[in-house]
Amino acid sequence: MNPAAQPLPVQDVQGDARWISQHERFVQECKDAEPDVLFIGDSMIQLMQQHEVWKDLFSPLHALNFGLAGDTTCNVLWRIQNGELQNIQPKVVVLWVGTNNHQHTAEQVSGGVTAITQILISQLPRAKIIVLGLLPRGEHQNPMREKNAEVNELLRLSVPRLGPAQFLDVSAEFVQSDGSISKHDMFDFLHLTAAGYQTLSKPLHDLLLQTLEETTAAK
Amino acid sequence: MSEDSNPAATPTPCQDIQGDGRWMSLHNRFVSDSKGKEPDVLFVGDSLVQLLHEFEVWRKLFSPLHALNFGVGGDATQHVLWRLMNGELDHISPKVVVLWVGTNNHGHTPGQICGGIMAIINVVHQKLPRAHTLVLGLLPRGKSPNPLRERNASVNAVVQAEVVSLSHVSFLDMDPGFIHSDGSIAHQDMYDYLHLTPQAYQRVCQPLHERIKSLLDKHAP
Repeated sequence: MNPAAQPLPVQDVQGDARWISQHERFVQECKDAEPDVLFIGDSMIQLMQQHEVWKDLFSPLHALNFGLAGDTTCNVLWRIQNGELQNIQPKVVVLWVGTNNHQHTAEQVSGGVTAITQILISQLPRAKIIVLGLLPRGEHQNPMREKNAEVNELLRLSVPRLGPAQFLDVSAEFVQSDGSISKHDMFDFLHLTAAGYQTLSKPLHDLLLQTLEETTAAK
Repeated sequence: MSEDSNPAATPTPCQDIQGDGRWMSLHNRFVSDSKGKEPDVLFVGDSLVQLLHEFEVWRKLFSPLHALNFGVGGDATQHVLWRLMNGELDHISPKVVVLWVGTNNHGHTPGQICGGIMAIINVVHQKLPRAHTLVLGLLPRGKSPNPLRERNASVNAVVQAEVVSLSHVSFLDMDPGFIHSDGSIAHQDMYDYLHLTPQAYQRVCQPLHERIKSLLDKHAP
């Protein structure tokens, strides 16, 4: 049994119930919106919506953002099984999660991501899934970079085998020749700056457009 | 409250549990980046300070004031205290230090959190005797009324009372009225009911910008 593939809500330890409030808002958004694209994952997805790149590139595609900071694969699994896929028929789902799975091995994390992908495919039979690779983190080379890279290597092989799913890894864009990550790309060596999101969004947007065209052509 | 018995006022670095050394990298960056810079204003605190740097409002309102940003996501008062005591103030002489921290002090009482803030104020005053410290009030958080809102409001009240008699410190309430009549906070203002959207930052930063400018004007040459 893979602990990274067990659905788990986040407990309200701090006392202001923010996780469940955000989840409830996403469930409500499913009732009101008709997105063509659904973005779901952790803070890497959530913060994207606060930058110009969202308004410029992804909003026009009728996208919803169900990113939640701190989420692991377990938390995203719980959310998609508890209302966040209800009443919507997105053509594409962009999934980005795994960097917060601190208690799990690379294999377990990869298994968690593929478990989410499988559920998305079964719940949304007409959708295509784009799985984003985990970005490197930390200013210099460190064990978390190795782990995230290992997750990516496993996903590179497993994701395409799931069917209507693709894997997109833009990690290489963020490591400089001396092995360091710049604060201009990741302001805390984990989260992307506006410039960092620009770098990520070019290939992602291209792939999204291509994928959306394919779903239209297939009709 | 003595610093020994108050965890919020005991300088504490962040432990690298995750394994990527990010907190220490950021601290070291701040120390080294500050060599050769001459900021008039230093912002220090938690993610509310750190994220401010990532939006247009920083470039428009605070870069022109020659400001540096030493915000670190997740920091509580004891972490900021450690950073300021371990190099982040050693190479610069800002005229104004803007301090925004306390919302991450989970498990501490308002009295302890205030003690942490006062400890930071004292360190700043020791290292930068001519600087003015502007303490920003903690914002409400959570979608609906909850104990953390009460805690943050209490912190603000206690801090405000403590600094009123100090000529080198002032307090600014940063809440423009985020809580609606039904007690809720809108996600258009706080996308996760804690962190500010760019438009909310615009709202809170106007009065902040004015206050900093007037402090800079008053600062003896």
